[in-house]
Amino acid sequence: MDQSQLRSLEARCIQEEQPFCTAACPIHVDVRAFMTALAKGDVREARKVLDRTMPFPEILGRICDQPCRPFCKRGEIGDPLAVGRLERFCVDATQAVVKPPRLPAKGGKVAVLGAGLSGMTAALDLSRKGRPATLITGSPAIGGSLHRLADALLPKEVFTEAEATLTGYGVTIRTGSALDRQTVASVLDDFDAVYCDWDDFDAGLLPFAPGTPDPLTLALDRAGCFGGGGLEAGRTFSVMHQVENGRRAALSVERSLQKVSLTAQREKEGACATRMYTVTSYFAPAAEILPADETAGYTAEEAQREAARCIRCECMECVKQCVYLQEYKEYPKTLVRKIYNNQAIVQGTRNANKMINACSLCVQCTVICPHDFPVAEVCRTTRMEMVETGHMPPSPHDFALEDMRFSLSEFCSLSRHQPGTDSSAFLFYPGCQLAGSAPEAVQRTYAFLAAHLHGGVGLMLGCCGIPAHWAGQAALFTETMAAFTAEVARLGNPKVITACSSCLSVFRAFAPELTVTSVWEVLDTLPLPPSQIRPSAPLTIHDPCTTREQPELRAGVRSLCAKLGIEVVEHAFNGEITDCCGYGGLMQFANKGLGKKAATHKAGRSDLDGLAYCAMCRDNLAASGRPVAHLLDYLFAAGDQDPLARANPGFSQRHENRARLKSDLLTHLWQEEAVIRPAHTALRLLISQELEALLTSRLILVEDLQKVIHHAEQTGRYLINPATKRRLAKYRPVRVTYWVEYEPTGEGYLVHNGYSHRMLLPEDAQ
Amino acid sequence: MSTFSFIETTDWLCAGCNQPLQPTKVQVTYLNSAFDVELMTCPACGFTLVPESLAVGKMLEVEQLLEDK
Repeated sequence: MDQSQLRSLEARCIQEEQPFCTAACPIHVDVRAFMTALAKGDVREARKVLDRTMPFPEILGRICDQPCRPFCKRGEIGDPLAVGRLERFCVDATQAVVKPPRLPAKGGKVAVLGAGLSGMTAALDLSRKGRPATLITGSPAIGGSLHRLADALLPKEVFTEAEATLTGYGVTIRTGSALDRQTVASVLDDFDAVYCDWDDFDAGLLPFAPGTPDPLTLALDRAGCFGGGGLEAGRTFSVMHQVENGRRAALSVERSLQKVSLTAQREKEGACATRMYTVTSYFAPAAEILPADETAGYTAEEAQREAARCIRCECMECVKQCVYLQEYKEYPKTLVRKIYNNQAIVQGTRNANKMINACSLCVQCTVICPHDFPVAEVCRTTRMEMVETGHMPPSPHDFALEDMRFSLSEFCSLSRHQPGTDSSAFLFYPGCQLAGSAPEAVQRTYAFLAAHLHGGVGLMLGCCGIPAHWAGQAALFTETMAAFTAEVARLGNPKVITACSSCLSVFRAFAPELTVTSVWEVLDTLPLPPSQIRPSAPLTIHDPCTTREQPELRAGVRSLCAKLGIEVVEHAFNGEITDCCGYGGLMQFANKGLGKKAATHKAGRSDLDGLAYCAMCRDNLAASGRPVAHLLDYLFAAGDQDPLARANPGFSQRHENRARLKSDLLTHLWQEEAVIRPAHTALRLLISQELEALLTSRLILVEDLQKVIHHAEQTGRYLINPATKRRLAKYRPVRVTYWVEYEPTGEGYLVHNGYSHRMLLPEDAQ
Repeated sequence: MSTFSFIETTDWLCAGCNQPLQPTKVQVTYLNSAFDVELMTCPACGFTLVPESLAVGKMLEVEQLLEDK
């Protein structure tokens, strides 16, 4: 990712866009922060918000004509907030808190002709910027048409206060000036830049025809002259617009003195559009709090209640649904910046590695995002970059990649035409996880397909390579896909029927030349299997994340359920916005705790028991404590076993199941010799359930223990505790050293403990 | 390079050599980094003991630190 890619990605996330009120405000008051403070009862903090943006809060806070109000999202669910009334409450209840800084004087002579609100604003802004202005008015006092407002609305003291503010910042005020064409002409000659406030200055006094001020810069038809702020024909008197004009003019004057572009990058000045996206349906409607005494305005309690109606507009739509973004407390814009910074580190700790590897790559956020922010794609391509540059830590993906290699090894992989045939019209591809989780279901499904489809149904056991794809291991993934497509070609390019939606999505994306479909769509065209059963109560269905873009597959599943008589209850997060179970993107290996959270989150989308049709979803959701069945368990029932009660087999059992499935199929269906497995797999180990859970959490397989014990017993190299007779041995098959504490018994080896490390000891280095 | 000591009295004996383990300076390595540590080792064959507490504690911590370098 280079900097321009970062910028364009950042721009797609709108979380930091201005809320609707701030965008609509001509001077961009942070109304959201103002409301947040008031809702907490912190009126002083609220005043700070006004002081930071408003030029004369004691005036503007009392008479703001709240142009933001029609844009308030609260209006969709009740009344828009009473912004003006709350500002008035705040200003009445507080003195100024923040005094914006005054920059050192930079030179340049600036005059402001007319001391209405826009002239006052221009003079104040310029003086703060270090361009002390001279404010000239023919009127006896500053304020222009504000003096026409009732005293109750705007007490006269505010003008004294404003005058003090202006002089405090170095503004020279000349009230009651005798202004005629001649004096005005000399002002134009004496000063480098002049702003005319039409509210309090007669354009007829100018020695030139001013023309209409340029809407962007307020420039008049003479260099260095600007004008604005007067009453506008056909429009209500808007004080906020006057202030905006004064502020706009001040910036133009500043730029003209600096001799830089008057027009560059001014799009966000004044009321502007925002790309903010806020969904209001989460909030209960609430009507405006009206003051009990209209003349006195809000009491503190009323103000607090009214401000509390603010829904604090933000987007966060993706974060609301995604446990990953919640876990790392990021939204896409901040996430991608952290990733960019992580990748830029040459020497030092890459703190975001774990975060990059923990995304499930499920794409839910992208579907939810109004601008399709591609979090998954950023994370996955970053992983590829980490692999390519040698910065990918080994531990997050090693286990899953080893598991994949095992599925593809001679002990698990298989590819055959249907017994007794030498060609295949179809090829059943159950996928590595179903083979590991429910090998009997694979056998039954295959037997059924073989009996009902014509033209021969081949069988292929293996792994589609998606773990390598997720891990950013591009070379391994390409190699795996190439081997798969070559093998399908060798079988005569039959139509591939997958039972795993991940395999299906990978084949569709990376082997588009193949004809691929899901087992669900195929089963939907066949008669129901004879051994089907149905659950006694309705089940909620959990779509796997890899079916997000496979509507036909999801429809096939539902059609089958209807035929089976399973009453399916849809929860709100299925289909295109379905969650990941924690396996996707190898999340559960990079961040174990987060993987569990993801499973619990998905299972918790409904209070009902669940129905899954992805082996990983089924096992992860079941492990999270919810009864969840796999659809094949109902289609091809095994005796009176309750599909909802089947436990998560765990990694070791899954591993073993795959090898056993191949042996069973080879010997029973194809009448071939089973593959001879290494001697260590024959060792019988006795492991308590408690220890098994610990080993699973440490990603240690029973086969790893078998390797250690076998090696120890063969070589005699182990430690012994003379008192307990226990043995402690270690073995490093590839990149991990496994330790096992055990003792031989008559029935096998009783295992007491197992742990591992990646660090290399000198004697293992040879 | 300073040496970190993880020696502790242990009941484990080397089964092959029938020897009690002795504190020994060894160099452990991971991802292009090497550390001198003191561990309990068989003086005859060099079998080094990594106790569980070390493997899942300090060693894991250092492994993860190095992985993010």
